[in-house]
Amino acid sequence: MQTPTATATGFARYWQYRDLVRNLVAKDLKVRYQGAALGFLWSLGNPLALILLYDFVFTHVFRSDLPNYILYLVIGVLHYNLFSQAISQSCESLTGAAGLLQKIYFPRILVPTANLIFTLALWVVAILILIVLYPFLGGVYHWGLLLYPLALALYIAFIWGLVLTLSVLNVEFRDLKHLVEIAVMFLFWLTPIGYDLNTLGTNSRMIVDFNPLTEFMQIFHSLLYQGTLPSLSSVAIASAWTAAALLLGTFLFRRKARGLVEEL
Amino acid sequence: MPPAVLVEHVRKEFILRHNRAMGLKTRFLALFHKSKRERREHFLALDDVNLRVERGEALGLLGHNGSGKSTLLQIIAGILEPTRGRVTTHGRIAPLIQLGVGFHPELSGYENIFLNASLYGFRNRDTQKRVKGIIEFSELQHFIDTPLKNYSSGMQMRLGFSVAVHLQPDILLADEILAVGDQPFQEKCHERIAELRAQGMTLILVSHSTQQVQRFCDKFVRLEYGRLVETGDVKKNSPDATELSINEEG
Repeated sequence: MQTPTATATGFARYWQYRDLVRNLVAKDLKVRYQGAALGFLWSLGNPLALILLYDFVFTHVFRSDLPNYILYLVIGVLHYNLFSQAISQSCESLTGAAGLLQKIYFPRILVPTANLIFTLALWVVAILILIVLYPFLGGVYHWGLLLYPLALALYIAFIWGLVLTLSVLNVEFRDLKHLVEIAVMFLFWLTPIGYDLNTLGTNSRMIVDFNPLTEFMQIFHSLLYQGTLPSLSSVAIASAWTAAALLLGTFLFRRKARGLVEEL
Repeated sequence: MPPAVLVEHVRKEFILRHNRAMGLKTRFLALFHKSKRERREHFLALDDVNLRVERGEALGLLGHNGSGKSTLLQIIAGILEPTRGRVTTHGRIAPLIQLGVGFHPELSGYENIFLNASLYGFRNRDTQKRVKGIIEFSELQHFIDTPLKNYSSGMQMRLGFSVAVHLQPDILLADEILAVGDQPFQEKCHERIAELRAQGMTLILVSHSTQQVQRFCDKFVRLEYGRLVETGDVKKNSPDATELSINEEG
């Protein structure tokens, strides 16, 4: 029988707790959909409503010349949603788990990680919308699509780095989440989700180019919308951002995790 | 054979923050308002504490409120980091600082067993093997599929205790939690602890009751203001209850 030992080190120490992550995610899912007859289907409602709203705004209020515009929009909105939901939740992941952290030792990094996995689990349902609608919205099947999981993994790693960073910082600065909420709102418009990057003027283009999410959106749009391979420069910049986010997140976590309990 | 728990020169300082700045806003305001500034004070909770607990031994940690005994327990459990010194442990530790850590009111008792056990590092399939024994011991068979929010506090504690003692820890760290449920259930808990001890489990029991320490422990240490002031053998030093309780008064 496998029983946990105190001697396990490094990755093995986290791996031994994998069922804890699973149980935490299952708990959140159960609590969230308690008594809701439609259960999981509810997580389809929000992105669907958003897509309809943006479609209305961008086709009737602001005109766009992009062909298959809805597909372009759906790809952007869904991927941005993953970012915004994960980031908004991350702030309170450690502070919300204070009761656990003060009573028992387990690798602290698992708390924000379980939160991210929970967000991902809900998001997978939303991405089903895209998969079902893909051929009808004008999406093309090409070999490049096989690279999509890799692009998504890169994106998730980037988000994970930020989630770790924010969860630690929020312990020290409790009002961080208000700032983050505002930032998430602004970033939506600074990311090429509803518009094409090439239609921007030089000044606004500079700001938008500096947004790390822009590169990820470019990658998703080339793979899923244009049916081409993403440009090398996008991949390189996105990878650099991911590495930076991961370094910052794990560095902060390693430095702060031990003293965290006293600050909660 | 190395000792189960070795505490060497452990010192723990807490920073007491009066008027703690919890957010960016307060920090910004503090630049202009003196009254909003944070004042810090160091508080010495443990000072050069040394302990050695052999395998299979039971140690009672005595002391008044605020003497540092719970802090010491949290350091041994790995929840807090010592400011100086170090703690070495051998074997799997089950800290029972609170019963039913991580219990969620919306989940059923059954689901909570798995969640609670996984916090102690247990795989679900290993919990599965023990779940029958856990439910039986807690005497909650009829309620196990009911959400925990419908449990009385006594029932919740029974379930929490039952999980903890069925995980077969090598070292059990208990913070005044041996008074669970009604009299018959308490007896059962005490029997179970004795049974685990007979199997070689190490026990560290925090208490301010000398009776409890006498009942469960071979040795005791007494903390006062973060220092170890007395170490002794329960049997040698106090053949009967009175002698130890005289010590307590002093």
